[in-house]
Amino acid sequence: MKKNFWKRLGKRVGVIALAAGAAFMLAACSNSSSSGKDVKITILQGKVENNKQFKQIAKEYEKSHPNVKIEVTSIGGGTQYDPVLKTRISSGNAPTIFSLAGPADVKQFKAHEADLSDTKAAKAAQPGTLDAVKNDQGKAVGLPFNVEGYGFVYNKKVFEKAGIDPESLTTVDKLQAAVKQLDAQKDQLGIKGVFALPGKEAWIMSDHLLNLYVAQDYNGNAQKLYKSKKMAFSKNADMKTMLDLQKDYSIKPVMQMDYSAQVNQYFSQGKAAMIQQGDWIYPTVEGIDKDFAKNDIGMIPIPVPGEEGKLPVGTSLYWAVNSKKTQAEQKAAKNFLDWLYTSKAGKKDVVDTLHFVPAYKGYDNYKMKDPLTSVVFKYSQEHKTTGWAFPGYTGTSWDPDVAQPNLQKYLSGKQSWDKTVQNMTDGWAKQQKSANN
Amino acid sequence: MKNKSLSFWLFLTPTLVALALVVFIPVLEGLFYSFTDWDGLRFTKVVGFQNYITLFQDKAFINAFWFTVGFVIVTVIMLNVIGLGLALLVTQKFKGNNFLRTIFFMPNMIGGLILGFIWQFIFTQGFQALGNALHMDWLQNWLTNEVTGFWGLVIVTVWQMSGYIMIIYIAYLQNIPNEIIEAAKIDGASAWQRFTKITFPMIAPAFTVCMFLTLSNGFKIYDQNLSLTNGGPYNSTQMLAMDIVNTAYNSGNFALSEAKAIIFFIIVAAISLLQVAYNRKREEDL
Repeated sequence: MKKNFWKRLGKRVGVIALAAGAAFMLAACSNSSSSGKDVKITILQGKVENNKQFKQIAKEYEKSHPNVKIEVTSIGGGTQYDPVLKTRISSGNAPTIFSLAGPADVKQFKAHEADLSDTKAAKAAQPGTLDAVKNDQGKAVGLPFNVEGYGFVYNKKVFEKAGIDPESLTTVDKLQAAVKQLDAQKDQLGIKGVFALPGKEAWIMSDHLLNLYVAQDYNGNAQKLYKSKKMAFSKNADMKTMLDLQKDYSIKPVMQMDYSAQVNQYFSQGKAAMIQQGDWIYPTVEGIDKDFAKNDIGMIPIPVPGEEGKLPVGTSLYWAVNSKKTQAEQKAAKNFLDWLYTSKAGKKDVVDTLHFVPAYKGYDNYKMKDPLTSVVFKYSQEHKTTGWAFPGYTGTSWDPDVAQPNLQKYLSGKQSWDKTVQNMTDGWAKQQKSANN
Repeated sequence: MKNKSLSFWLFLTPTLVALALVVFIPVLEGLFYSFTDWDGLRFTKVVGFQNYITLFQDKAFINAFWFTVGFVIVTVIMLNVIGLGLALLVTQKFKGNNFLRTIFFMPNMIGGLILGFIWQFIFTQGFQALGNALHMDWLQNWLTNEVTGFWGLVIVTVWQMSGYIMIIYIAYLQNIPNEIIEAAKIDGASAWQRFTKITFPMIAPAFTVCMFLTLSNGFKIYDQNLSLTNGGPYNSTQMLAMDIVNTAYNSGNFALSEAKAIIFFIIVAAISLLQVAYNRKREEDL
């Protein structure tokens, strides 16, 4: 009986081993047959909302370039991207093309960044868009995905009903008056609040709103802020005015609202007159109400004293090519990026498939497809823009550890504005001091 | 004898190899990295105890530590009281006690993440609607400050885990020989006397197990914390495990995070060992 058991077990193990071996050999065979001068490039990118589109574009590129294989992986949520990239690099499975969010990333991954300054795309990039991704030698190591803009995304119907022209709200005073008027007519307009301020999602304040008032001190240059030892925050009183306005006239409770409640639950269902957001919310709004997205939304700049009528436009992500890969792979990667941003087919994909506002020259004949990107495109064509300085602190620990909790404390009424500003500037000085040790 | 020890080691090897790969080596590696300026990719120098000094000045870590300690104290007490209470209830002879066992145990089958999201909805939407209908202000704005955030976490954890603790108590309760209880009854002991003088001492080993489980689980909680409050508002409901993860993944400070993890490990190990040793001693005394 006992012997029988071992015999049966042995047989089974043998069969499994045989099967595994056969499978392994088959896999090995199929691998070797596709090698040769073919190149495979892997992309790990941080814009998860465009995952599907990038895969589609990769397939299209493979068709016209049969010896290139492209594998796209997308990681979402901005801050969680870096650890995944680090893990992939540490485990020897580094991607050929990856994305960088700003100067902090350029420094972190500098051992893996190829010089991209001689690519066609880099030469076509709009002036200023490469500033944030220059390495120590002043060479560009990143190519912008696109440019994005943010402001107040508004509900056209609500404004029409109230008889207010959103385009006329160019100063803080005019905005305040309009907000009060909207608030007084809340019930007739069918809204729950003028704004929907997501207190839970601190980055919306720490990145986008704060940027408007910090960027002025740094000419909207992320690199300059990143290198600055002290954070001049001279316009903080203006920020307080705007933050208070949004908080006081927001759907309550503010501290319970997150990004999806702001965009999906309130704005897309017409319960808020306007929200502070950017052109990237379009696909989400479209997914909820196609007609509403197409016909009833628009975007205006947030009025900032001294910068009236200008839209903050910048780049949140850049492409980088891994310098540790073989020459052939790096070349294929650069060719792909050049193709995407400078060839005719690629340009069409950038505008029509990805809905990107291009960060490159040579797109004068293209038209953006949705109302939000159209606004960003229009403002950047007319050069009525201000820069993004906040990529200078995304990727540093100051953003999640200092700026966000302090702004939340202020919003919850637990801390005065002066103390908030104090903590934020002190925190910046402390971080910069230890970073240069 | 020789043969036996060979097969002994042969059978043990796979486990030992796996344990070394996923536990011993990473812990040693982590210990080493905690003395460097590792950023997740590479390190440039060994910094000695710098990270350990930094972490004791790190307000977020200190805050997370005390928050977690408070949470552990409250949940250990509540879980054991409620777990034992439920166990006593369902070991009574009445119709439907098996059904109740299933019901009480069920929350434990749901993953912590999903559970957190469900309860988040209950706290934010359900409580609000209820508060509006009943004009009760204390039901409004749950999870928007550290106090309600704390109790929210406690409620979810207790709701989830008390069924599990109940099962352990049931097992020990059913092991009490019926003769002893009957003898006590004949001697005229009241229900309370029977509980305090017989049942309670007889299930002392259950306390050792349950206290250990609830204690270490309380320290290690992460998923409920993530889905329910995500540490917010202003990082006030961030527990130790979450602070460690965020230090590495949000702030990019991997070496500091390793140092925090080592301290965390020492604290949890020390407290658990102390607790088990103490309870064991009590078991013997009884």
